[in-house]
Amino acid sequence: MGFWDTITDLVDAATPWSTAEAEHPDSHKSPQGDAPLGGNAPAAPAKEISDETTAETDKEEKAEDETAEVKKNEEPAEEEEAEEEPEEEEEEEEEEQDPKDKFEDDCKNSKQCAPAKHHYDECVERVTSQESEGGAKEDCVEEFFHLAHCATQCAAPKLWSTLK
Amino acid sequence: MFARSGLRSTQRVFAGARNGAINVTKRAASTSSGAEASPVRLNIAAAASTAVAIGSIAWYYHLYGPTAHAMTPAEEGLHATKYPWVHQQWFKTFDHQALRRGFQVYREVCAACHSLQRVPYRAFVGTILTVDEAKAMAEENEYDTEPNDQGEIEKRPGKLSDYLPAPYKNDEAARFANNGALPPDLSLMVKARHGGCDYIFSLLTGYPDEPPAGAQVGAGLNFNPYFPGTGIAMARVLYDDLVDYEDGTRASTSQMAKDVTEFLNWAAEPEMDDRKRTGLKVLVVTSILFAATVWVKRYKWAYLKSRKIAYAPPKDANVQHRQ
Repeated sequence: MGFWDTITDLVDAATPWSTAEAEHPDSHKSPQGDAPLGGNAPAAPAKEISDETTAETDKEEKAEDETAEVKKNEEPAEEEEAEEEPEEEEEEEEEEQDPKDKFEDDCKNSKQCAPAKHHYDECVERVTSQESEGGAKEDCVEEFFHLAHCATQCAAPKLWSTLK
Repeated sequence: MFARSGLRSTQRVFAGARNGAINVTKRAASTSSGAEASPVRLNIAAAASTAVAIGSIAWYYHLYGPTAHAMTPAEEGLHATKYPWVHQQWFKTFDHQALRRGFQVYREVCAACHSLQRVPYRAFVGTILTVDEAKAMAEENEYDTEPNDQGEIEKRPGKLSDYLPAPYKNDEAARFANNGALPPDLSLMVKARHGGCDYIFSLLTGYPDEPPAGAQVGAGLNFNPYFPGTGIAMARVLYDDLVDYEDGTRASTSQMAKDVTEFLNWAAEPEMDDRKRTGLKVLVVTSILFAATVWVKRYKWAYLKSRKIAYAPPKDANVQHRQ
């Protein structure tokens, strides 16, 4: 899209050691055929993907731990319970889940989106308590937007590297 | 009566103010400090105007302050995230495998409600389908013929020159079938919405499992953060494995959304591949021509730029200088 992308594309096309870009449709079935079309870094993408699949769980756990630590200081017991649930679900349907949902859930629980998620959770708690008392005076749309914005932006490049 | 007395009193006040003003100018002109009452009046006026200003601000806040009625984030809608679309790069074409998958998604999912009226079957030939496939697909539909000898309009199977049929006869029928909401024609939708591809992809995949707490969702509407106003009549349609791709790609929700978005971008801009190639040719040729013109200019101007003009004064002083 950007100007430098085209420059790097040209350089890649000119250099003899770069990967071929056009692939036979059948070769897509192999996991390494799913490497991004740009071929910006010849050997790196395939490696990244395999790393991601293997080290995925590690990353998740790390992210979980970090956010859990952050949360512990602020809100003790409730949050941890809420966070453990999606993790279990992910393990059950690791294969079937939409990659977008998976990456965005990871991003929501990552350190990057911790402030937005904190605000959103707090807002949900506040508004649900208001609703139980009688009409809610506000909604969490704005907080939801901030969280969704953060999560999608963080997940976009990862998602595009897995989709065909 | 009261009004008149009130008027009179205001006149008096104005007169007083005028006197005060005159006094002030007088005092400024001469150094004598004559008028004792004027600073009090000025103080009163200042206090009154301040009170009026504060009061009007308070009144306005009382009317409109506590809740924002316009340009809330929900009204604006969440701006679509930028995705690194490959086909939007300068030297990249559409991924025609993706177009083929996207067309399959359109045909099996979107076409139930959305028309694609500006795209003829001939446009698919060579880009998405082969000639035979496109012909077979066109023949599945019936179109009106020209009037025959008796003036009757008969039906004939479709040809390559025919345009894709619409799911409804007209807009009214479409509204009636969809609870009053009109599914828009998708031919130019990528060009017609802010954010283009990003918006459509985000809209298709952005339905949350449940709306955020406290959000108001109207009757018959669904919550989608990317739709301005967040209430959209279209429900979520793309679910995992809804379509069986013929090339064996796994039909996850985001994969289908990506393919159909790229397909809709092709529908709106079928000339993109050619446009980019032509643009590249234009850039190459014009840069060569520009370099040539620069060289010619320098060549032609060389003797002018390299000449040296010197003034040599006459050696013998024949000239009489005027004293």
